[in-house]
Amino acid sequence: MPLSTQSQADADQYILIASLDNARNLSNILKAISLRDHAIFNATQNGLKVTVEDSKCLQANAFIQAEIFQEYIIKEDAVGFQVNLTVLLDCLTIFGGSTVPGVCTALRMCYNGYGYPLTLFLEEGGVVTVCKINTQEPEEPIDFDFCSTNVTNKVILQSESLKEAFSELDMTSEVLQITMSPSHPYFRLSTFGNSGNAHYDYPKDSDMMELFHCTSEASTCKYKMSLLKPSTKALALSCKVSVRTDSRGFLSLQYLVRNDDGQICFVEYYCCPDEEVEEE
Amino acid sequence: MALKVGYNFTLFYLNKYFLTLVFVANKHLCLVFGKAVHALSRIGDEIWLDPLEKGLAVRTVNSSQSAYACFCFTPLFFQQYIPDPDIRKDCEAVKCKLNMKCVLPLFRCASWRERSVDKCEISINIPNSRVIFQFHCRHGITKTYNLGYQECEALQAVFPAHLCPNVLMAQSKLLGDIVVHFPVSQEEVTLSISSFKVTLKTFCEEENNCIKGMNTELMLHPDEFDYFQVGEDSAVTFCLKELRGLLSFAESYGLPVSSQFGVAGQPISFTVKDMTLEAHVVLSTLTDPNHESPSQPAPGDDCPVNILKTSTAEVSTCEGPMETEVCIADGEQVASSQGSDVFNPTPHMRKMIQLQTPGEMLPRLRLAPESALTTPVTPATFKVRSLLFGAVYTNGMDSKTVDLPSLACASDTEED
Repeated sequence: MPLSTQSQADADQYILIASLDNARNLSNILKAISLRDHAIFNATQNGLKVTVEDSKCLQANAFIQAEIFQEYIIKEDAVGFQVNLTVLLDCLTIFGGSTVPGVCTALRMCYNGYGYPLTLFLEEGGVVTVCKINTQEPEEPIDFDFCSTNVTNKVILQSESLKEAFSELDMTSEVLQITMSPSHPYFRLSTFGNSGNAHYDYPKDSDMMELFHCTSEASTCKYKMSLLKPSTKALALSCKVSVRTDSRGFLSLQYLVRNDDGQICFVEYYCCPDEEVEEE
Repeated sequence: MALKVGYNFTLFYLNKYFLTLVFVANKHLCLVFGKAVHALSRIGDEIWLDPLEKGLAVRTVNSSQSAYACFCFTPLFFQQYIPDPDIRKDCEAVKCKLNMKCVLPLFRCASWRERSVDKCEISINIPNSRVIFQFHCRHGITKTYNLGYQECEALQAVFPAHLCPNVLMAQSKLLGDIVVHFPVSQEEVTLSISSFKVTLKTFCEEENNCIKGMNTELMLHPDEFDYFQVGEDSAVTFCLKELRGLLSFAESYGLPVSSQFGVAGQPISFTVKDMTLEAHVVLSTLTDPNHESPSQPAPGDDCPVNILKTSTAEVSTCEGPMETEVCIADGEQVASSQGSDVFNPTPHMRKMIQLQTPGEMLPRLRLAPESALTTPVTPATFKVRSLLFGAVYTNGMDSKTVDLPSLACASDTEED
């Protein structure tokens, strides 16, 4: 339902308008990638892509397709800007976390273009809030050059099984080691903490394992725990996750997320391997 | 004898040089074990695993050595028994000490474990000094935790329960209902017994302090107890906090709790038993200030935990970083593990909790159903730790040898 305070004249100057009946469909996904303060927005005809990066080693992306929005108007091929993600999330949840069924915050997000702030119109129960968030020049997201042809190993798991493991990970371990092998242990997460090692093994015939594709060689790579631990948020929202490594040892985690209305969005994480390890 | 719990104990011998003990437990025992670990974590920061011939003993002691707890899991049957006596001796020589902080998280979410865990294997890998907990979960998922352990002497408390004049046994529900009235922060309580009543009340150090805060007093008629024996009227004061773990364990399984104690100053023991396990908590009690001196130990007897043994003293200490830092000077008021500043762990207690070298002739824990921790009485191994006579060190310990003497166990203890 379009916000009645919006006049037609104003609408003409915006180069991007995205409206949602339920702002949580955006805020939940953005929380899943909220590693850092700043997020790069890149809107195209297909939808919205939001990117957050950490120390040039980790990149998290959220994809919200145009179809998710009740209204999605874009007047240029690509619209890009950078905003403070923490501030954006605070605004999206400005009415508090209402859990009363049927009551949700409606959102209309508008952008005039380069140099203009991002304008949010939020409405709940007849109360309207207008937020204008300063935008910055968008940085170019790192291209991890992760393409399917280089993928050596891939598994798709139901998230439920990984959620327990990730929530229990030994945080005294500096690294999380991921092993994928055509033979036992098939798919293994390992930590090396102060008290000892822990291994979580997922056999290829487990009913949690939807796809197991491993080349003839086993691969074992280590990733900094501090980089990967935040991905637990995305994992918590998702129902399925795909884990892929490529020949360089780069890791791609892709999460299939269903929002409140049952629509599908994707979140993905790319991570560089911890430098000490040789990729086998 | 019907199997109450279907689980197997397997002592598994791989080869002479790489010895791994394996205890396999099904879902139920895994839960029970987890609850036992929780109960132990309320007392101490370290957990001792002691694979005995007749089962796995899991023990802890608090930093001031005023509380000791032991859960002994007995096997209902062996699937495999180590035939070679040499290897068996090596097995029994393994004593592992683990940090409680490492073990407790493995058993944290009881409800999750109940749903997801099918089987738990506990192995001890001696060459690598690792205890391995492996959980076989739903969907074929396996979780393996390799925890490094410290080789140490055994922790064992010798508590001749049969010498206690006072014995009480009650359903855990009754005890739970009683202790719920005491605030969780309440540390010390006084248990008084006479022929016609049992009283449990808040302990006040001085009469004046009783005015401040809330004081609780409960009186029970002997009929409330399943078993009531009063040999000597007494009032013993102990730390309630350290008992709560055992009580909630007992309540989870609806098991009765029995208690053996004497007069003030003598340790009080609480026992929970069933066919598959035996759990004890032994707590020191405050000495009666009017009858102080005879029980004071010799001045040279400081720091029983850290200091190592002289030929007469009982052994204590474990080398290594996991050594407890508490140094208890006798006569001094020391902090109990919870920071209370009035509790003085009595010398009796310290003598009772001894860390023994493997080379000694250990009195084996006999798991006879009727008695609590009693030592097997054999001429060669009998060590007098009589509480009635206060501190007694056996002089037989002067010729202590560290290597495994041939005169150990085999001939002297009552092996089957």
